[in-house]
Amino acid sequence: MKRTSKDSRCKLPDNTALKQQQLPAYQLQLSATGVLSGFFATGVFCLGVGIILILSAKSIKEIEIKYTEICGNCAKLREDATNFDKECTCSIPFYLSETMQGNVYMYYKLYGFYQNLYHYILSRSNSQLVGTDLKDVGNCAPFSKSHDGTPIAPCGAIANSIFNDTIILSYNLNSSIPIKVPMLRSGITWWTDKYVKFQNPSSINLSSAFAGTTKPPSWAKPVYELDEEDPGNNGFLNDDFIVWMRTAAFPTFKKLYRRLNRIQYFTEGLPAGNYSFNITYNFPVTRFRGEKSVVLSTLTWSGGSSLFLGLAYTVTGAVTWLASFSMMAVHLLLKDRKMLFIQQ
Amino acid sequence: MLSVFCSGEVVCEPPNNKLDRFSGTLYWKESKFPLSNQNMLLRGCVLRNTEWCFGLVVFAGPDTKLMQNSGRTKFKRTSIDRLMNTLVLWIFGFLVCMGVILAIGNAIWEHEVGMRFQAYLPWDEAVDSAFFSGFLSFWSYIIILNTVVPISLYVSVEVIRLGHSYFINWDKKMFCMKKRTPAEARTTTLNEELGQVEYVFSDKTGTLTQNIMVFNKCSISGRSYGDVLDVLGHKAELGQKPEPVDFSFNPLADNKFLFWDPTLLEAVKMGDPHTHEFFRLLSLCHTVMSEEKNEGELYYKAQSPDEGALVTAARNFGFVFRSRTPKTITVHEMGTAVTYQLLAILDFNNIRKRMSVIVRNPEGRIRLYCKGADTILLDRLHPCTQELLSTTTDHLNEYAGEGLRTLVLAYKDLDEEYYGEWAQRRLRASLARDSREDRLASVYEEVESNMVLLGATAIEDKLQQGVPETIALLTLANIKIWVLTGDKQETAVNIGYSCKMLTDDMTEVFVVTGHTVLEVREELRKAREKMLDSPHAVGNGFTCSEKRSAKLTSVLEAVAGEYALVINGHSLAHALEADMELEFLETACACKAVICCRVTPLQKAQVVELVKKHKKAVTLAIGDGANDVSMIKTAHIGVGISGQEGIQAVLASDYSFSQFKFLQRLLLVHGRWSYLRMCKFLCYFFYKNFAFTMVHFWFGFFCGFSAQTVYDQYFITLYNIVYTSLPVLAMGVFDQDVPEQRSMEYPKLYEPGQLNLLFNKREFFICIAQGIYTSVLMFFIPYGVFAEATRDDGTQLADYQSFAVTVATSLVIVVSVQIGLDTGYWTAINHFFIWGSLAIYFAILFAMHSNGLFDMFPNQFRFVGNAQNTLAQPTVWLTITLTTVVCIMPVVAFRFLKLSLKPDLSDTVRYTQLVRKKQKAQHRCLRRVGRTSSRRSGYAFSHQEGFGELIMSGKNMRLSSLALASFTTRSSSSWIESLRRKKSDSAGSPSGGADKPLKG
Repeated sequence: MKRTSKDSRCKLPDNTALKQQQLPAYQLQLSATGVLSGFFATGVFCLGVGIILILSAKSIKEIEIKYTEICGNCAKLREDATNFDKECTCSIPFYLSETMQGNVYMYYKLYGFYQNLYHYILSRSNSQLVGTDLKDVGNCAPFSKSHDGTPIAPCGAIANSIFNDTIILSYNLNSSIPIKVPMLRSGITWWTDKYVKFQNPSSINLSSAFAGTTKPPSWAKPVYELDEEDPGNNGFLNDDFIVWMRTAAFPTFKKLYRRLNRIQYFTEGLPAGNYSFNITYNFPVTRFRGEKSVVLSTLTWSGGSSLFLGLAYTVTGAVTWLASFSMMAVHLLLKDRKMLFIQQ
Repeated sequence: MLSVFCSGEVVCEPPNNKLDRFSGTLYWKESKFPLSNQNMLLRGCVLRNTEWCFGLVVFAGPDTKLMQNSGRTKFKRTSIDRLMNTLVLWIFGFLVCMGVILAIGNAIWEHEVGMRFQAYLPWDEAVDSAFFSGFLSFWSYIIILNTVVPISLYVSVEVIRLGHSYFINWDKKMFCMKKRTPAEARTTTLNEELGQVEYVFSDKTGTLTQNIMVFNKCSISGRSYGDVLDVLGHKAELGQKPEPVDFSFNPLADNKFLFWDPTLLEAVKMGDPHTHEFFRLLSLCHTVMSEEKNEGELYYKAQSPDEGALVTAARNFGFVFRSRTPKTITVHEMGTAVTYQLLAILDFNNIRKRMSVIVRNPEGRIRLYCKGADTILLDRLHPCTQELLSTTTDHLNEYAGEGLRTLVLAYKDLDEEYYGEWAQRRLRASLARDSREDRLASVYEEVESNMVLLGATAIEDKLQQGVPETIALLTLANIKIWVLTGDKQETAVNIGYSCKMLTDDMTEVFVVTGHTVLEVREELRKAREKMLDSPHAVGNGFTCSEKRSAKLTSVLEAVAGEYALVINGHSLAHALEADMELEFLETACACKAVICCRVTPLQKAQVVELVKKHKKAVTLAIGDGANDVSMIKTAHIGVGISGQEGIQAVLASDYSFSQFKFLQRLLLVHGRWSYLRMCKFLCYFFYKNFAFTMVHFWFGFFCGFSAQTVYDQYFITLYNIVYTSLPVLAMGVFDQDVPEQRSMEYPKLYEPGQLNLLFNKREFFICIAQGIYTSVLMFFIPYGVFAEATRDDGTQLADYQSFAVTVATSLVIVVSVQIGLDTGYWTAINHFFIWGSLAIYFAILFAMHSNGLFDMFPNQFRFVGNAQNTLAQPTVWLTITLTTVVCIMPVVAFRFLKLSLKPDLSDTVRYTQLVRKKQKAQHRCLRRVGRTSSRRSGYAFSHQEGFGELIMSGKNMRLSSLALASFTTRSSSSWIESLRRKKSDSAGSPSGGADKPLKG
């Protein structure tokens, strides 16, 4: 008898909040005050952020010079790959009407260059670039090995297609001898890239470390000769190389090339005046109907931003306000009508 | 003995489902014996009054007639399941379309741009043309975009359904304390369909009723007894019952019998002759067999529970039916044994609707006692009792209004001469060769005339607890309830009234009893004409003109008056024929209530099938016995009442519980929630997968259609499994829009499910559109920002990996906010899952992008350092915030406007007052008991013909009982009970199963 009563008690469902679906809960309710105040607040926030962003974007000084056409003869020369050993330089003078205050950054910008193609992005070997296994060229097709079977270092399509123009900015003070604007080539990469993702193979001599590998087919010189003056910028640790290896998301992109070293005349930034870009034109773009340009720009707190974000915020804020006003109108109108309805 | 039998051989018809026919031949020792239905015992029969018998099993297991009646088991799926499959197919088509577009894009791109780009990225060796590249890219995109076809959807749906099933199993409010049985979801695939039920098909006995008859009231010579009175003599309200009447004066009384009106006992004790005669009649005029295990321990074996109740009532009021022989009946009248000589039993049948006995009392006076239907009996009374007749009629009306089953009692004195002559005639008639029945009937008719009215009895066919309330509530929820029963028409109609399916407010109750196709068709046609012609037919101008344009069916559905249809089994057989089924369905669906009586198990299934096929509505069948199995299997949802008789119904069912009243909770609470949750879940699931996947599509236009994904591959893998699965599962399992009390209070809340409003193709496209809208913003806002911007240290912002992280992060945030909006009921678990998912996302992100993992697997974890570098940028966070705002704000605005302009019943808070008012009106309707007019007879008697003859022949009496000697103690009353139940549910031919009771 005792057992049966125990059995049947087992059958009785537990009286817990979970099992009886009585868990204490907060019911989400779209109340008029909540929604409308939320909308107003969001509107204010968006408008505020938008205006701030627009103002800061306006404060940025930026100058962009497309040099594919200006250096037309060089572009033509580079269209034929056999001319790779012929040097071609091109000088582009320009006038800076206003001083560029503060830090000035120099970018190269490519149009129509697809760094985001599936096969392109994959075509690299991180284990090679981190210096642990130089011979690992597994993913690098079609630039993994040279014709004689020597592994390429750095291998892959990304490394092979590195941007190899040299751009020098000169300042023509008093229209006499141009002064080369001092530029820093360091600090243009992420810390993690420079110190974690890219490492040279450990060896006393860099060239011996790369023994048994060959340079990528389009490169003029091997990787260990990229910057022979500064060992911290040589081999895989070369900043330009690292910058290039961080592939762009879209076919039009700009990558940081140099930043202004604020010494001598340039402690305040780039003063207004006559300048010129002296470009050693190596990187062919006309073959794929691309274009390249060089950009000088200052920054603000949020980085060098375009107007897009600010405009988008402003528009969103404005629309949100409009929406909240019309919602309020609808709400008030209906409230009256509903009261009437209930009274009837 | 058996070995002798082994040499025999039976040749018979193949297994079939006809309960009333069998033909075969037994060959034994070179002789042939024909076997007919008379020689058959069907599965489920109980042998009565027979110690032993020899038999041969002809059909066993699935071949038995009962199982042949049970129909095939079908795989049940919900309509949402089917819709889901269609949608998945569509999505697959959509996927192929996207693949084709992108492949064409790839071919063009490779032709225009890629070819020139070969210096930097030569084509694969296998690729020789732009066209082939496009072909390959098609397959790549099919693989990348396959996340729109949600594979995990099916798994998640099953998990949610499992959760809902557990909630049903765990529900304390569906636990029957008396039988200690919990509700049980026996399937986990049908839960959300519980929220869409439009038709409920219910068995009667054991489902709506307890199959217990209670002697409730009586009217004796113009005075009504049985009202529950309080101390002051006013009619007591429910819930304050006084003590039941004390029957201790009577040692033979049945303790289980309860009566609340002491005045009746007083009348008996005072020796009121009418009252005595009344109970004497009850103790004499019946076909009950008694059994006395020990001295004073009486057990009655009644062929119908009604009779049992009447005889038991007489027993308790001091007229104890003690024993009978074929020729005598012994009754203890107020303590003294009186033996009456039983001269004749004028047996009951459906046409006569009455039964009589002729007895000679010890003084030698011959008296005829008769009980029967008021409609029949009141015409056969002696004209001198007009006044009594009118009061009794009033009482009868009152009883009928309460849904009680009434019988009128009358007697007549016969003199010896007349009886002798009549007995002669009867004998002649019974010996007649042709039309014996008719002759007997006319002989009976003759003697049963000019009778003196004694009174009337009212028996309550005890309903299961809460049945009328449940039916009323389900009706308010726009669920149509059809009762399909094997019982007789009167019984079924009576129950219809007592459980408020039928009311006297109804414009008309159509009764279809035709025996031929033409009759049935004519009756149905008349019913429809009446419905259309009635002045109520025009509801209001608007609905009418709107519906008129539709076909006839909808015209009929717009009928405003309340009608009910009662149809008999034999008429139903015609009505279900192919050429009439639509007519029948039209008529039946226009009625508020439908009762089908005397239907076979197969017919039950056919009716369900008919509605299922033509109405495109979700049907639910509920029953308790083996005869309901076929209907339970046929309906979309089958519910078995557990803990009654047998377990066949439960085994065939999808849900089982032990009380009919739990059906309201199953449908209005569990079903509604299940449906709501499932719909919300599906909407969100499609939305999140589209928002996730379509980004790849847009990116395709910027990456040369090269099948480059936007996100890190780990994110793609984990998105559906880890980052977004649990919050939506929690919503699917726990969400509630209104508390359970509200869904019982406002049954109209059930309607969206029936109309399939929450998830249909339109809703699906809205979800998809929202997903695509989100994906567009998710891609183009970061694109617009990244294209030009740089980081705050001057370096490039728009590198692929940062873009991937930004889009992924804003996606996870947007879908999390969206699920937050969709979740109407934030329990701790929801909080845990939603916040947990976000936390997990960032934890995994930072772990995947950590230096440690990169050092170990530099080729697998390419995103090293990305999270901390990207997410440290204010621009990135501003982008994510903007994306979230732009994706979510329109949704909030839309929902808010919908709430203001077109609120659902469920999200109406400010309407509460208004709805309450309506609700009160409805409650008033519900409480209305009784009726104003007297159009209806309360007569119902679940009795069958043939027992009188049996008793007079003495065939069913054991030798021991004939000798009135010791009673065996072997037989218990339990099998009598089960027999009673089967008996009253029997659906066979009216006279067929008399000695072979079968639950059919």
